Amino acid sequence: MKPMRVLIVDDEDLARAVLRELLAAHPEVEIVGEAANGFAAVKLAEELAPDLLFLDIQMPKLSGFEVMELLGEKVAVIFVTAYDEFALKAFDVHAVDYLLKPVEPARLGEAIERAAARLAQDQARPSGVAIRPSAVAVAAAAQPPGRPIERVLIREEGRVHVLPLGKIDFIEAKDDYLSFAVAGKRLLKQQTMGELEAQLDGSRFVRVHRSYLLNIERLARLELYAKDSWIAILADGTRIPVSRTGHARLKELLG
Amino acid sequence: MHPMIERPVRLVAYLGVAAMFGVLLALLVQAIAPGSLRGALALCLPLALVYGFQCLSVWYPVRQLPSSRAGAPQLVLLLTLASFASAAIWTAAGHLWAAALAASAGFTDLPARFAIALPLFFVVGVFLFVLATLVHFLFVVVERSRDAERRGLEREVHAREAELKSLKAQLDPHFLFNSLNSVSALIGSDPPAARRMCYLMAGFFRKSLGLGQKEQIALSEEIYLAETYLAIEEVRFGARLQARFHVAEATLTFAVPPLVLQPLIENAVHHGIAHLVEGGEVTIAAARVGEHLELVIENPCDPDRPASRGAGVGLANVRARIEALFGHRARIDVEALPESYRVRLLLPALPAA
Repeated sequence: MKPMRVLIVDDEDLARAVLRELLAAHPEVEIVGEAANGFAAVKLAEELAPDLLFLDIQMPKLSGFEVMELLGEKVAVIFVTAYDEFALKAFDVHAVDYLLKPVEPARLGEAIERAAARLAQDQARPSGVAIRPSAVAVAAAAQPPGRPIERVLIREEGRVHVLPLGKIDFIEAKDDYLSFAVAGKRLLKQQTMGELEAQLDGSRFVRVHRSYLLNIERLARLELYAKDSWIAILADGTRIPVSRTGHARLKELLG
Repeated sequence: MHPMIERPVRLVAYLGVAAMFGVLLALLVQAIAPGSLRGALALCLPLALVYGFQCLSVWYPVRQLPSSRAGAPQLVLLLTLASFASAAIWTAAGHLWAAALAASAGFTDLPARFAIALPLFFVVGVFLFVLATLVHFLFVVVERSRDAERRGLEREVHAREAELKSLKAQLDPHFLFNSLNSVSALIGSDPPAARRMCYLMAGFFRKSLGLGQKEQIALSEEIYLAETYLAIEEVRFGARLQARFHVAEATLTFAVPPLVLQPLIENAVHHGIAHLVEGGEVTIAAARVGEHLELVIENPCDPDRPASRGAGVGLANVRARIEALFGHRARIDVEALPESYRVRLLLPALPAA
């Protein structure tokens, strides 16, 4: 049987070292790489396409949950953390297992067995039918409960963009993608408008049109275009269509 | 609520005293302007009771008086004017009442008798008003001292609670688990370092558990604790964490509440350094500034860091503790910039016991 290819992600050298040492006792596992932060983890995971990630949760730049959101359905994850309070969230995002530091060798063995079983299951399934969670579930898990998201993560051409919401001008739906307008540039993310709208703070981003979500702070003025149809003119001069329902939403928000 | 009206027993006693003054006044009227005793009583008793109520109103201005002695001459002047006004109103009422009694109850000589006794009424009016003011003032003083006592007790309870909380916060289980994970890693690769880590952890926990019960400790002990804590975290974070101490020699013997720095240093590591890929330096400074001991903890931080959970608990705790212990004599300032975070504590500079 081919060994499982794993990537170790932890910002502490010693935490990676102890996993490396413990995994040496498992010939069914091959360590293909290590990353010390979330950005590096996403990059390496794309390059190396590992089967399994050992993933710390509290890391600089991107949390473990955010790394999982960016990697989507490609990889199985075992969380390794000193915090027991994320265990429920980890179940929500269908993590293979949740190991507490300090990691016990026997417990690690169990986790590896589970991962092997999960991978075998996935391979037996026809391709494209994954039991992985949706991006929404993972994005929700990456946030403190009940709070709208504060930043959007976008992976494009091997780079990860962390977009604080304040930097987004508007979002346009294009087929299966969302196009985020940021200071005149566009960034693409595979997500539906409905999903994103549900994650955002409704008092900051308004669905002004079937295909447009607008950052309310960018709105300069509204112009009547035709009967029941308006144009929103943004601070930088960009013009965005506004539907009848969109107009009603804006009016309700702006009074 | 007025303290006299608050309890019926007090009100009855007060009105009893007023009636007694009424009888006395009637006897005086009888002496100055002889006539029927019943007439004098009919005049004086109701007037005394009414004046009793009139004097109750002085409670409200008295309660507003500042507790300091500042402006005493103005107060005396104000009191004099108020007593004259009050006595004048009362005397006018007496005049009307005497006329009314003459018309309806047949005491036809009362207006004339009242005219003779008018100066007496005025003087008694002033005297009773001053007396009432003094009694009310006494009430206010007693009430204020009771209040102060209660507030002192409350403050003490708050301080104890905050201390308990700080004790809990200081035993951060994640710190323990992460440190044990480091020990577990070092046992394989560097046994002497693992052993050193055990000594550091033992030192930290022994010290911090022991200090929690004390009311105050020398700054040197707090600094020892901070050094040990940072030495442990340096093992975990490796080159990402550096610690620098600028502690003026003379400050080491000053008294500080135990574990007052610890939550702030934990914050600097967890909400500052831990979010930086390249890490950074935590600086701890102690200096004497005039009558104060100044403690400064500073760390770099990531401007894009996500809103952290649990941040501010440690800081709020320290704030509550020093407020409870020192009130206005201590201060805590926070300077949160995008790329750095700085907390400055000013405590009274007192030598440790």
